[in-house]
Amino acid sequence: MHTNGTNSELFENLRLELRRGCLAVAVLVQLRTELYGYAIRKALSDQGLAIDENTLYPLLRRLESQGLLVSQWREEDKRNKRFYRLSPVGEEVLASLLAEWRQMNAALERILAAPASPRMQEQTQ
Amino acid sequence: MTHTDLIDRYLNAVKLWLPRKLQKDILAELAEDLHSQIEERESVLGRPLEEAEFVDLLRRRGSPMRVASGYIPEVRLINPAMLPLYWMVLRIVLLWVILPIFGLVFIRPLFDSHSLGNVLATFVATAFQSLFFVIGIVTTVFALLDRYRSKWVDRWDPRKLPGARRAHQQMQWYNDFSGFAFGVGAAVFWGAMMWHRSAFVFSAGFRFVLAPIWGQIYWLVLGLTLARAAVDLYCFVRPAWTPARSWVRLGFEVLKVAIAVVLLRVPSWFDIAGADLSPADMAKTVVWLNGTIQITLVCAAAIMLFDGFRQARLLWKAKTGRSTPILTVS
Repeated sequence: MHTNGTNSELFENLRLELRRGCLAVAVLVQLRTELYGYAIRKALSDQGLAIDENTLYPLLRRLESQGLLVSQWREEDKRNKRFYRLSPVGEEVLASLLAEWRQMNAALERILAAPASPRMQEQTQ
Repeated sequence: MTHTDLIDRYLNAVKLWLPRKLQKDILAELAEDLHSQIEERESVLGRPLEEAEFVDLLRRRGSPMRVASGYIPEVRLINPAMLPLYWMVLRIVLLWVILPIFGLVFIRPLFDSHSLGNVLATFVATAFQSLFFVIGIVTTVFALLDRYRSKWVDRWDPRKLPGARRAHQQMQWYNDFSGFAFGVGAAVFWGAMMWHRSAFVFSAGFRFVLAPIWGQIYWLVLGLTLARAAVDLYCFVRPAWTPARSWVRLGFEVLKVAIAVVLLRVPSWFDIAGADLSPADMAKTVVWLNGTIQITLVCAAAIMLFDGFRQARLLWKAKTGRSTPILTVS
């Protein structure tokens, strides 16, 4: 039998796995408009998807090296900032990713709407 | 300490862990993010941040090493799919190296040296050196395989997979492995101890003088033991039972029994010389020693006959269609 500590660790691992893919999609969607790092964090956080800088910046770098993003350093408010936006390849990949995500979401909804097994029903009652 | 000092220290510490060609770019972006965050906090508070608040802000970002680790691509030495094979090869190679070292560097010098401490120290030093050498070589080979030949993992054909285990073979792997380990140990012991030996000389001055028969069967016993160990290893690596394997094992047992019979026909296997004993006591001791050898040989022959019988029984079962079915996963 799992202890509460093990359960929360399991949950945390699964949550991280679930978030990992979602964050990449969210960042790509957000970068349909050009933004710099801190502004991306703010924008995502304001929409309910907080992301810490240690996750965001390596992710941006990875997406850029994969050709999904392009970036350039520019001065704004007397400070040099690196602005990112979706590349043409990124736009294509994002469209496919969103289609995949919608399909998975619809499938999950159908699975959730299906009647639960008698054992599950007993547990819920 | 000023905020700028703290930021510089923090970024410098991150820089230490970053790849050289990425340092400038990553640090500039991290510095910009820090300044944006500080600016925002200060505008919310309506005052500059105090040192403790600033330290707290940096702490929450994580240690410099942790921050830098996010930018370093994950590097693996060995493909996870190859790990079980890696462990198996490592164990087998280690066994093949450590057992001979045990025989040659520990057991054998025990008979020639008066200092157990020296022998033990030499053995430990040699074993450690060999251990690291073996681990290094095996790991390098697998890392190279992963780098240049990793696609072979996906090249497979269900028809070429090893046959499924049968119910009676669930414990067979243990027998195969222990047979292999024992065989290697026995070969090392025999090879090292009996090499050009006509007597065992002890420090007290007395000697166990070996009968010539031991020298005559030296190569036969060594070859047979190594061959049997090799067959056990093969059966352990590819565990499916085949009639050929049982025939080979049956052949080994017959040969071993034949050697035991030849040995049992010899009137005496050991003699004692140089012992401080009366002739009567000496004769009694020689009789007792040879009696012990005789009992050991008879027991060994009985075990060999039993193993031979087991192999014959397996062959008979296979021939009459009474072999146990393949295990299925329920």
